[in-house]
Amino acid sequence: MSRHFSLLRDTRHLQAVALGLIVLGGGLIAARSHLIPKSFGEHGPYRGDALTEISAQQPVLTSDTTCLKCHDSVRKERAESPHKDVACLHCHGNGHEHMAQAANAAADPSVTIEKAKPWDGDFFTKLDLFITKDRATCLSCHEKVVGMPAGFRSIDVKSHLADQGAENIDSPDVCFECHTGHSPGI
Amino acid sequence: MNTSHDSDGASGCGNRPATSGLNILNQGTPCGGGGSCGGVSCGGEQRSKADSRRQFLSRATSMVFGSFALTLLPMESPESTAETPLPAPPNGGAIPAPPAASVAKPVLYGFLVDTEKCIGSGKCLSACRTENHVPDGYSRTWVERYVHFKDGTVQVDLVPEAGYHESKLPIVDAALVDKAYFVPKLCNQCVDAPCNQVCPVHASFTSPEGVELIDTDRCIGCGYCVQACPYGMRYINPETNSADKCTWCYHRITKNQEPACVEACPVGARVFGRLDDPESELSKRLGAVRTQVLKEYLGTHPKLHYVGLSGEVV
Repeated sequence: MSRHFSLLRDTRHLQAVALGLIVLGGGLIAARSHLIPKSFGEHGPYRGDALTEISAQQPVLTSDTTCLKCHDSVRKERAESPHKDVACLHCHGNGHEHMAQAANAAADPSVTIEKAKPWDGDFFTKLDLFITKDRATCLSCHEKVVGMPAGFRSIDVKSHLADQGAENIDSPDVCFECHTGHSPGI
Repeated sequence: MNTSHDSDGASGCGNRPATSGLNILNQGTPCGGGGSCGGVSCGGEQRSKADSRRQFLSRATSMVFGSFALTLLPMESPESTAETPLPAPPNGGAIPAPPAASVAKPVLYGFLVDTEKCIGSGKCLSACRTENHVPDGYSRTWVERYVHFKDGTVQVDLVPEAGYHESKLPIVDAALVDKAYFVPKLCNQCVDAPCNQVCPVHASFTSPEGVELIDTDRCIGCGYCVQACPYGMRYINPETNSADKCTWCYHRITKNQEPACVEACPVGARVFGRLDDPESELSKRLGAVRTQVLKEYLGTHPKLHYVGLSGEVV
């Protein structure tokens, strides 16, 4: 009937199959260890190093605590004002270069910290510090827009300036005739 | 043969044992109409058949119930068993709670957006773009304005990044408006995130703090996750050709800073904090006010909560 299996006769075939399996298995293991990143599975089914890479990115925006380390007087001015929750960078920009200079100056007293420049009207591209005695800064929040909550102090510029009897209606710093930035309430 | 069945059944069976055995095997009806086989041997086959059936049923039953019983075993990953302490005993329990220092409490971040405070100044938008180097034309966060007109229509538009001042947008006549409000949108950081589940290369992952992140090195830019996100939060970054999304500024929050948009909000409409800390401002606000999440019916369980949403907001 059928030919019986004989270990002796089929040895060469078996060897070939075994060799093939070993090569295939070894190749798969090598490919697997090569393709799967080392840190994969450290915290879960993902590359663990990705977590440290993302958290190692440096923050760009400056938080208030950094500014108030040196400018402590502003903290007192703002304490009771409606602007107490308004961060420095909302009106003054981010101050990246300013702080780099401050750090250098702390290490080496001969380094001078540059004075802030006037605002160029662009919050978006600016990472440096600027002074903003400019109505556009105020109006970026306080101009009346449909959708604002009722409790928020928003104005229609023309009628507000007329009502309050502002002197230089077209001047950029017209708001500062009555208000100050850090403590604007009246 | 049929008539002589009773009398010479035994001898007939003895004559053709092999055939009768074959009959039994092949037909499965040993005592059928043929009656070729004796009652004794047939009875024996029946018994063994019945025995094997009983055996089969009993084994099958125990296997089925046994496999059900397996599902009752506690299923816990080694990670969670290592991190989670024993369940806290009820008040007055004999077992003392483990000291806080010995067990690291897992951090869990949450977010609250107060639409009743948002003024639509758009500061969060430029802050996010600057902080995360988001290319022009793409956004990780945006602010929608819902304007409900008196004629029943609802208009939804986007807050310009530089704010409404000098934006040259058509001004909505306040006299025609019933109500209007701003809704900031950002990543919901869902507990059951659909975007995470579809990633074929494990580039989308959840950090131990519950923040959905993207491994840009592994991402192949297939865009499945972009389509899977029900909130439209993801995009393919044209500079890296990788999926990109709001990370709640993971690089800031892990340094104990607030996300850029929270830092940039002048009115405190965005609140970020730890859900695992009952003393955090977020936990207190969530406990005190009524909040909603977006598209709750999808079962994604967002960790981004909203105050003052209207039904029209999706």
